[in-house]
Amino acid sequence: MPLLQVKNMTHFFTGLRAVHNYNLEINPGEIRGLIGPNGAGKTTIFNLLTGVLRPTEGEITLEGTDIIGLRPHQIAARGIGRTFQNMKLWRHMTVLEHVKMAHYSQLSYGLTGAFFGTKKRVRQENEIEEHAHTLLALMDADQFADQKVLNLPYGVQRRVEMARALATRPKILFLDEPTVGMTPEELVGMMNVFRKIHNELGLAIFLIEHRMKVVMEFCQRVQTLVFGEVIAEGTPDEIQNDPRVIEAYLGKEEVA
Amino acid sequence: MTYFLQNVINALQWGSFYALIALGYSMVYSIMMLFNFAHGDIFMTGAYIGLGIATGLLAIVSSGVIALPGWLILVLTIIISMFITSLLGVLVERIGYRPLRNAPRASAAITGLMIGIILETGNLALLGAKRFSFPPLIMTKAYNISGVFVTNKKILVVLVSLTLMLALDLFVRKTKWGMAMRAMSYDFVVVPLMGVSIDVIAPMTFAIGSGLAAAGGVLYGVAYPVLDPYMGILIGWKAFVAAILGGRGSIMGAALAGFLLGFIEIFVTMIFPSTLRDLIAFSIVLVILTFRPHGFFGKPYSAKLRL
Amino acid sequence: MEVKKSNPGNTKRFSGLRHFFSGIPASGWLLAAFAAVLLEFYVGDPLTEILGLPKIPALFGIVIILKKPHLIPGAFAYVGLIYLLPIIIVAKITAPATNWVSEKLDRMPLWFSAILHLVLLYFVLEIWTDISDYRLLMLKLTLIAIMITLSLNIINGYMGEFSCSHPGFIALGAYVASVFTVGLFVNDRLLGHALLPQALGQFLFPIGLILGGLVAAVGALIVAIPSFRTRGDYLAIISLAFMFIVKSLIENLEVVGGPRGLGGQPDWATLPTVFVWAVLCVWTINNFVESTMGKALNAVRDEESAADAMTVNTRKTKMIAFMFGAFWAGVGGGLFAHVLRYVNPGTFGIKKLAEVLAMVYFGGLNSVFGSIVGAVSFNLLSEALRPLEIFKWIIIPVLLILVMIYRPTGLIAFKHFNVKKILRPRPGSKERV
Repeated sequence: MPLLQVKNMTHFFTGLRAVHNYNLEINPGEIRGLIGPNGAGKTTIFNLLTGVLRPTEGEITLEGTDIIGLRPHQIAARGIGRTFQNMKLWRHMTVLEHVKMAHYSQLSYGLTGAFFGTKKRVRQENEIEEHAHTLLALMDADQFADQKVLNLPYGVQRRVEMARALATRPKILFLDEPTVGMTPEELVGMMNVFRKIHNELGLAIFLIEHRMKVVMEFCQRVQTLVFGEVIAEGTPDEIQNDPRVIEAYLGKEEVA
Repeated sequence: MTYFLQNVINALQWGSFYALIALGYSMVYSIMMLFNFAHGDIFMTGAYIGLGIATGLLAIVSSGVIALPGWLILVLTIIISMFITSLLGVLVERIGYRPLRNAPRASAAITGLMIGIILETGNLALLGAKRFSFPPLIMTKAYNISGVFVTNKKILVVLVSLTLMLALDLFVRKTKWGMAMRAMSYDFVVVPLMGVSIDVIAPMTFAIGSGLAAAGGVLYGVAYPVLDPYMGILIGWKAFVAAILGGRGSIMGAALAGFLLGFIEIFVTMIFPSTLRDLIAFSIVLVILTFRPHGFFGKPYSAKLRL
Repeated sequence: MEVKKSNPGNTKRFSGLRHFFSGIPASGWLLAAFAAVLLEFYVGDPLTEILGLPKIPALFGIVIILKKPHLIPGAFAYVGLIYLLPIIIVAKITAPATNWVSEKLDRMPLWFSAILHLVLLYFVLEIWTDISDYRLLMLKLTLIAIMITLSLNIINGYMGEFSCSHPGFIALGAYVASVFTVGLFVNDRLLGHALLPQALGQFLFPIGLILGGLVAAVGALIVAIPSFRTRGDYLAIISLAFMFIVKSLIENLEVVGGPRGLGGQPDWATLPTVFVWAVLCVWTINNFVESTMGKALNAVRDEESAADAMTVNTRKTKMIAFMFGAFWAGVGGGLFAHVLRYVNPGTFGIKKLAEVLAMVYFGGLNSVFGSIVGAVSFNLLSEALRPLEIFKWIIIPVLLILVMIYRPTGLIAFKHFNVKKILRPRPGSKERV
């Protein structure tokens, strides 16, 4: 059984068709890529799958159960973690607070714990703090734990965001252009992070990416999206040589 | 039926005040993305400035230097107090809002509230707790149109407000500065790069909004002659509600919602005891905003009060 | 661990002073304050006579400064002799002892140490307020102001909404608690004969306060539910409408006296009662905002969609914030009604709104410490400027505008209130400079 399965998903924005007849199957541990020119609807697909938007038609199942209509936090708690194109970090919070916050659904101390500081709360807060430090260490960002995120360099912010997404204990991780705007050194660091996530945690990854280098290196299968429709799907090599893709996408943009 | 029509007239007059004040809120909002909470008190100050000017003009006339008819004194009063109050608006922008342009919007809201309190208290300190009556510049004439009583003052209030609103509409749509303002309200970031300075547009917006509020204040003084320093608070907050109901930054919407609020209030008191006016009017506002969270003409776009 | 911003100029200027005081723990300061109030209790009256003051300066002489300037030297001498000198001397002399005690307490559970400190603080306040009823009233109102400021800070600071509904919540709490006590325990013209003996009332009073808080919390749903879909300005209006509705509703309820108000509340809001409630309020709110569940408010404020994607239940978070804030505002309102023993709907209007907003934004957003400082300093300032009559309402707004211009989020914003750190021992040798 695939981890995530999408069948015939279509979405309209007030009459405008943003996504048409989209299908996807991701198996555990698999890395899938989604490429396409700007405005093709890639982020819309992420938003549909994570519950931010509700598809007009179609089915989405996560481990066999229907997740359409669930609120984003419920879907996130069921195992779809994500990062954002513009990171969306919380301006006034420290790195550690970011990663702890993403454990929200794993806390069960309730309001009593929050108001009166019960033993259960102390224990759970300690547990998630420990886990947060582990994740930050994995991302090489533990030395920044007590700093406010906004003061950190861009590459570190990206790694913090990744740790935050991992803290939701996802089964599958959605990455929305995680290397956008990175310097070559930062890019190398980020690719190491991908390797770690995949090799050490064995997560499935669904990746939106513009840099073909990243896509070529990591993705097992790639979809090309143009105007909300998948025009080609296959291995990175197949995609790179597909004339339709070259025309619609690679032909217009320089390969990074 | 006549009773109904009578109330329509009353509602038009009452709504004019809300509309004139709401326009000021709405204009400032559309340019600067913040509400000028001192606006109700600028309305009050405008009324007092009008009072001072009217009294002064009457004194000049009675001393026999020149002879002016009552209506001309009223027109002069409106124009001069609009001008002086615009200067006050510019001052408020300079002191209370410009230093906070990059600060959280909630902080600017607080400075607005505080400037309002300063205006109220300043008025009390200058003039004392004594209540002043607006001098009767024109004689009240009542016309009986098949049972509906219309006074010349009510007609005056509605006509002057409508004229000002039309003038504003023309200004915003046809003049260079009006177009600059509209451009600024579309894009706060790029337009300043095109050579239109926010440091010019923002004071101008405050000036126009304050001028309209002053006109409202003088007309209010004509219709309800007793002024007091706190008269701007409730009417100001209600006009603020109207500005929001109309949809943030929508000038037409603000004017219409001002009249709508006037109608709601007048017709609530037509059916229910007048003590229930605020209760029912605000309940209606609450229901409207719960089901249409972006007002009538506003875009579904949520500007946060960012910290 | 907290990253400290270095401020070289400041540190240098005050380093001598800071070094002098750095070795004194919280318990030392409390002990010194205790000594000072005891001193005042016994020698306050003779000293005022010697210094030629008409009576003991009630609020450290700040009221006298503007009212009777010729008494300033006497008042200063009094404050110096009764408070400053004894406090400094006692704190410094007992520092080794109090540090030893704090060291021992530091190893015990935090609640135990906190309660000991609070008991000492309570006795200081009790003896201090024994001198005059004016002090007692001021202290009670200040404690209530702290509760209300903090509860508004949850919504306006921690969650970053501009809520104007607080006077409505306070009014709900005040009226519900008043109806509870006046209706059940007092023979009243409006609410009829007492149903229960008054002796019982003292014990049931907390129930009335909690009821008031709960009603306010349920009322908060009217604002909280629209907040799922809308934020910012529209929510501000909804909350403002809520405030007007509550005020107007009470004005139209003849059962509770309508616009004339409701009086005759029994005198149950004693200093211990108000103190315990204020401590409970600060304690639960601080617990809440320091928990990950409470920090979810910050996440919702800073980037709601990211919070949602990180499994934070944003709707629940918003509901909790509004209802929890409203609850404490309601309890504060109930106490307020029983301190003044009279309420009328006119109290809970725009003026009250401006006042609570001023306290929150003056003290600092997103900060328990800031709210306490804001409420206390606002109340002190307000008393100190009272002789200026209406000019007070020019000076306070000007001050607040200056604070907004130079520190847009308030004086002490975004600061953690860490009880353990406050109570920790401070032996001079280990102190980092």
